[in-house]
Amino acid sequence: MTQKSSGFFNWINTRLPIVNTYERHLSKHPVPKKVNFWYMFGALASVVLIIQIVSGIWLMFGYENTEEGAFASIEYIMRDIEYGWIIRYMHTTGASMFFAVVYLHMFRGLLYGSYHKPRELVWVFGMTIYLVMMAEGFLGYVLPYGQMSYWGAQVIISLFGAIPYIGESLEIWVRGDYYISGATISRFFALHVVALPLILIALVFMHLVALHEVGAGNPEGVDIEKHLDEDGVPLDSVPFFPYKVLNALVAIGIFGIVFSIIMFFFPEGGGYMLELANFEEANPLSTPEHIAPVWYYSPYYAMLRAVPDKLGGLVVMGAAIAILFVVPWLDRSKAASIRYKGILSKIAMTIFIVSWLMLAWLGTVPVTALRTTLSIIGTVIYFAFFLLMPIYTSIEKTKPVPDRL
Amino acid sequence: MKKILLVAFIFFISQETLAASGAPCGDYGECDTFKPELNNMESLQLGALTFINHCYGCHSLKYSRWGRVAEDLDIPEEIFINNLVFGKNVKLGDRMTGSMKPAVSESWFGIAPPDLTLVTRLHGSDWVYTYLRTFYEDSSKPYGVNNMVYPGAAMPNVLASMQGQQILSCKDVPIIASNGGVRRDDFGNDITEEKCGFLKTIEGSGSLSVQEFDELIFNLVNFMTYIGEPSRSDRERMGWYAILFFVVFTSLAYLLFREYQKDYH
Repeated sequence: MTQKSSGFFNWINTRLPIVNTYERHLSKHPVPKKVNFWYMFGALASVVLIIQIVSGIWLMFGYENTEEGAFASIEYIMRDIEYGWIIRYMHTTGASMFFAVVYLHMFRGLLYGSYHKPRELVWVFGMTIYLVMMAEGFLGYVLPYGQMSYWGAQVIISLFGAIPYIGESLEIWVRGDYYISGATISRFFALHVVALPLILIALVFMHLVALHEVGAGNPEGVDIEKHLDEDGVPLDSVPFFPYKVLNALVAIGIFGIVFSIIMFFFPEGGGYMLELANFEEANPLSTPEHIAPVWYYSPYYAMLRAVPDKLGGLVVMGAAIAILFVVPWLDRSKAASIRYKGILSKIAMTIFIVSWLMLAWLGTVPVTALRTTLSIIGTVIYFAFFLLMPIYTSIEKTKPVPDRL
Repeated sequence: MKKILLVAFIFFISQETLAASGAPCGDYGECDTFKPELNNMESLQLGALTFINHCYGCHSLKYSRWGRVAEDLDIPEEIFINNLVFGKNVKLGDRMTGSMKPAVSESWFGIAPPDLTLVTRLHGSDWVYTYLRTFYEDSSKPYGVNNMVYPGAAMPNVLASMQGQQILSCKDVPIIASNGGVRRDDFGNDITEEKCGFLKTIEGSGSLSVQEFDELIFNLVNFMTYIGEPSRSDRERMGWYAILFFVVFTSLAYLLFREYQKDYH
């Protein structure tokens, strides 16, 4: 039997390298033996991606991508389709959890310098994934066509109008109409369920291929490739299967508990995940009192509002995302991990986190004069953290990085 | 030092938050708390009765279906059809689309009464519970009533015959000193001032007592909370199983992980 099946696999493998690929990228792929919980969020992000794709397909069974039918079809899913509510909440909770997990994953990257040579491209692909996710999340939020879908879309699409010369035509081109209408919903639907997921999957694939080429990092910032055994396998590594799979399973279990608590008991997330105003069908004649994005855009929304000029706000918001792409070239430190970086990096990181969280809060609340000032301060700190990075990472004294993990 | 800074920061933030957001229940201030009892069938059934008899004339529940309500609320079909479904051609699978044409109601009220399927999700059950109990007489308004939660609401107080006359009254309230205590004169008596804007029901003017009326509204809002998300009680019940599954899953995964970890530690 064994011989037969191995013969079968050999037959396949000489024509399609599944066994080799499986061994190279999964079962025998060497990973650093000592990592901490921060290294689990990548695996969790792929779990959420699968949740989103599967629940998304199921939602499409009941969703209607028309101006008249969109809102009612969501309620149809919630009420008339058996367990449709589970699918919907899985998707809405999944969206928030996707961003939560990705933010923690990105923070891990900043903390332990996961972008350091030779992992620059891994970081750049990751950032591209984040950018596509932001677009994907926005498009998806418009589809239920509630009040916040409509007015949120109004605010975001009108940003295109701020671009000089081509702005107005671009705005109409994006909307597919002179105002947000059925044309907007159907194109957003196509982009949300086909175009962007395809791009996202392709990017995730490249993120992983690039990662597997250079190998995963570790919290010490130690280069495990320096010490190899006679087979060329790093001494400080363990094979992905079963060791890291088991590691990931524990993380997935804990994540499942958190996910279930939110999904089954707080699906609205206090109005931060499903905004309450979205329980009312879109009404172009009545503007909600307070238009706020869902929590995962809020730091950047706060930056947008901090600048009084629309185009200026757009530029600042765009730059805030763009600057993340070049982090690998801004960090001049000899040490990758914050553990071995100097005091300046540690102070900068702390201030950055506090101000990012402050911006996240500011983006969800109505504007006051004081809050605008705080948003400006937060924005300045955000940019200072990155723009001054080449300076403070090169002048500070780093601790020697150990040789082995 | 760090602690002081943290406390100062939190104080500053909380002051800032309170200052900017208006009271959730308008002139009434904080909404009264409403804790739904979605497994209390009697309450839900009575709430449905009140809704159909007093609200459904103007307000639809268009995302909900008759049969689903009968099933979820444990009301036998025959009793349900005879007592709650008005209209000869209504089938149990139909949506509860209301009995008034929007065009007609718009000409009567100036604005079509909104569909109420999701109202408790939009404003919160607390808000609806408070709103329905804070109508007061105001002769300057077209229907002779105004509302504390939603001033200028274009809705008559449909339940006035049961609630009776509710008016805004004034009363003497103790003055609170800057230290948080009641201000007293030299003889130790509380110093009071007259404040207005308190709701007062004229006793005996309605068919229900204040307590009975509150209970009626409780059942009604309980029903409206149910209709906002009919799967909610299922959701909260199933949630425990999902969590339990993941707790067991995590424990087993952890035990296995710990065993295999010995290989490289």
